[in-house]
Amino acid sequence: MSLSRRDFVRLAGAIAGAAAASSACAPLAGELTGAYRAPGGWTELAPADYRGLARLTYGPTETETSFVAEHGLAAWIEEQLGLEITDDLPAEGLLRRFDLLRMQADQLEGWEPEEVLGQLRAASLQRQLYSRRQLHERLIEFWTDHFNISVDKGECWFLKVVDDRQVIRAHAQGRFADLLHASAKSPAMLVYLDNQVNEASAPNENYAREVMELHTLGVDGGYSQRDVMELARCLTGWTVKDHFWKGQFAFEPDLHDKGSKQVLGMAIEQAGVVEAERVLDELGAHPATAEHLATKLVRRFVTDHPLEDAPEAVRAVSRTFLQAGGHLPSVYRTLLLDGLVPQLDQLPPKIKRPVDFITSALRPLAAHSDGGASLHDHLALMGQPTFAWPTPDGPPDTADPWSGNLLPRWQFALELAQDEVDGTSIDIDALVEQAQRDEGHIADSLSQRLVGSPAGRGMQSALGQIRRQTDELDPQDMARLLVAGLIGSPQFQWR
Amino acid sequence: MKVETLSRRDFLQAAVRAPVALSWPAWMPRLAFAPEGVAPRGDTLIVVFLRGAADVLNMVVPHGEDFYYQARPTLAIPRPDDNQAQVDQRAVNLDGFFGLHPAMDPLTEAWQSGHLALVHACGAPDESRSHFRAMELMERGVSDQRGPASGWIGRHLASLNTGNPSPLRAIGLGDQVPRSLRGSVPVTALQSIADFHLGGDLAAAARMQSLLASMYTEQEPLGVIGQETLEILDTLESLDPAGYQPAAQANYPQSDFGRSLRQVAMLIKAQVGLEVAAIDIGGWDTHFGQGAGQGLMAGLLDDLSSGLAALHTDLADHLNELSVVVMSEFGRRVHENASLGTDHGHGSAMLLLGGGLVGGQVHGAWPGLAEGQLFGPGDLAVTTDYRDVLSEICRRRLNNPAVELIFPGYQPRAVGVAKRRPDAS
Repeated sequence: MSLSRRDFVRLAGAIAGAAAASSACAPLAGELTGAYRAPGGWTELAPADYRGLARLTYGPTETETSFVAEHGLAAWIEEQLGLEITDDLPAEGLLRRFDLLRMQADQLEGWEPEEVLGQLRAASLQRQLYSRRQLHERLIEFWTDHFNISVDKGECWFLKVVDDRQVIRAHAQGRFADLLHASAKSPAMLVYLDNQVNEASAPNENYAREVMELHTLGVDGGYSQRDVMELARCLTGWTVKDHFWKGQFAFEPDLHDKGSKQVLGMAIEQAGVVEAERVLDELGAHPATAEHLATKLVRRFVTDHPLEDAPEAVRAVSRTFLQAGGHLPSVYRTLLLDGLVPQLDQLPPKIKRPVDFITSALRPLAAHSDGGASLHDHLALMGQPTFAWPTPDGPPDTADPWSGNLLPRWQFALELAQDEVDGTSIDIDALVEQAQRDEGHIADSLSQRLVGSPAGRGMQSALGQIRRQTDELDPQDMARLLVAGLIGSPQFQWR
Repeated sequence: MKVETLSRRDFLQAAVRAPVALSWPAWMPRLAFAPEGVAPRGDTLIVVFLRGAADVLNMVVPHGEDFYYQARPTLAIPRPDDNQAQVDQRAVNLDGFFGLHPAMDPLTEAWQSGHLALVHACGAPDESRSHFRAMELMERGVSDQRGPASGWIGRHLASLNTGNPSPLRAIGLGDQVPRSLRGSVPVTALQSIADFHLGGDLAAAARMQSLLASMYTEQEPLGVIGQETLEILDTLESLDPAGYQPAAQANYPQSDFGRSLRQVAMLIKAQVGLEVAAIDIGGWDTHFGQGAGQGLMAGLLDDLSSGLAALHTDLADHLNELSVVVMSEFGRRVHENASLGTDHGHGSAMLLLGGGLVGGQVHGAWPGLAEGQLFGPGDLAVTTDYRDVLSEICRRRLNNPAVELIFPGYQPRAVGVAKRRPDAS
């Protein structure tokens, strides 16, 4: 089906309007827009394909497994890379109820932080749970982490709404240089890394350092302390409007250092706002930036140890970045089709970060979820508070930092299985019925969904024991135990 | 048969009523680990990491330095005898040259009783001024990217066989285990003793727990840490944190840090085999609006100091078995910036609290703050390597002589901050 963007927006509005008119609550919107499903028949996949999907989605559903079974993972990646927002009606319809997310900063300021953040967080999680553009959301998450901003700092609680829409989502499928420039002028970033108070009389180095260390060149990318100080001078006067047009980027010539500067060997003559723009151009196209971004992308999508496990993938992605002038869809294509797909048979496991853990429990079980506060409370306990990672490096992307905190995952698993998570539910009866239709054992049926293989031996023998001790466990209680156990299992913590 | 459903509270009350619990305070567990006769364990170590590069020049204030006041026209902490400033905004004098930030006043008692030692101009050789690079190297205890990936505390635990089977031998308070604890000894994150249970319907929780026990085998990745987590569930089940009464009305702040310290004190008194606890405090990256006697940093220091002071009071009977180390990845620029803050610098400081330390002194050579004495773009120089301090604590307080394994390739120098434990090898 081909829709123009205008048709699409009107249609999505009509659907959400119908939902809003009746009660504006999430479950109804979910059903009316078709975002919510009931569990259907499950297509078993080869382990490599299941792993690939686990890596590129927020947990496979029937939609992805049946597509991959028929066409293969490479075809699925191609399909995903071509999807547009108009291909995602159900999720976009579901999100219409988040009206604050369409506002500008000066409108948002008058709302309660809890309300603004509630919508920002719920929308993010519902997109991950219900968007058809799973790969796109994975890339959004990558850039959100890369240009990390914590809503706990200053006015970021409403400025991040604009950053999410006009920086990350606007440029994730465009050119890196545009993303970088947009981020540098993003009021949320200017506040988060203190450039809004960077003045000529004694510059503030915070953003100038992190843009080179974290956003572009990398800590070993060849810049010096002197470069940090000189770039900070170029960035003096880059600030945020306070009264009229509150929350918009502003360049204040009075606060700008008028002297000449030298950054990364480039002489920079006095040119106001253009000085730092020139440096950003240079940074955005620098070979060290290509290498740094390639390493991070390979770490996120292929292996915790890019330089040891997949040096060719890092080189290939870096080369594409430079050849394609930072055109991100080209970079993604190389990363996934040349870097990931050939490695699928011996893909080193990656741990599920808390967001992966929760979403990959909910999606295969066809859970209905408002993406709301109770899930975000769980995420914070697991160590990944949504839009609130305090430091600019973003939440870590390797296994070690996450592996010592299993209990909050087990607590979530049990709560979900017992139907005690506010705003989120799974239909145990439907899952049991579906397992009966699949004519397998319920343990194997649920295990196929959640970990991509039949129930393991450890689980089988423990189930036998539990059955002997409590022989009155009805199929629903057994299914709840299986859901809790599978989501809590060591296998489920990896993708 | 169906297992009768007990609420968690019923269950705890039943456990407390059981005869075996009667000889103990109600909040204590039945088991004590590390029985008499195993290798001497040394002090319990608490490492507090101030994330974000704390501005130590406003913590241990060099009020005898004119250059300090020239470099910080708005942020300097006034001299102890500065009559122009309100009394509660002035530095608390320590030795005529250094003083504490006024928000650190709660620590003067520990200072006067000789339990608080300070090491100034202390830090690491790394010059990246990157938080993430500096923290990584410091927590690994290495000079550069080469060297082991494990953490220095992880190697301390691995190289000292105390015969201690406790799953609580080492813990990270919070939602992640700090890098310093990584290594072959599994370490669990602990946020709240009260919430360390599976919760909900007890029968369902018990069934899930037996399922988990059968799945977390040693062969599985995460198997060992999973087994340890299950053991901690059992160990902590009989602790009742709500009933814990700190000694001498010690008053922990109502903050994450205060709650963490209170739980560590409880675990120490409950003798559950705790050897190392790591606690992080974030928020020290004060580029903007740092404040002087009041403000952002004063609030952080108040939390830090009142927490440590409460611990000092609560564990008064355990101080000879306790070493607390407070550290940060680097210091901040001597000159303030135009946004009432300070940028990344170099030299830092360490705070040490315990009964076996050479307290009541500021250790380390003071490099000065004059033009020619500063390091790089205008930073405090480092005269004592942080590993000198930690090596001495490992040897003299933790009974671990293997510092060449803990800090590979580093030759530590004597600082004189720690007394030798009577049972140290």
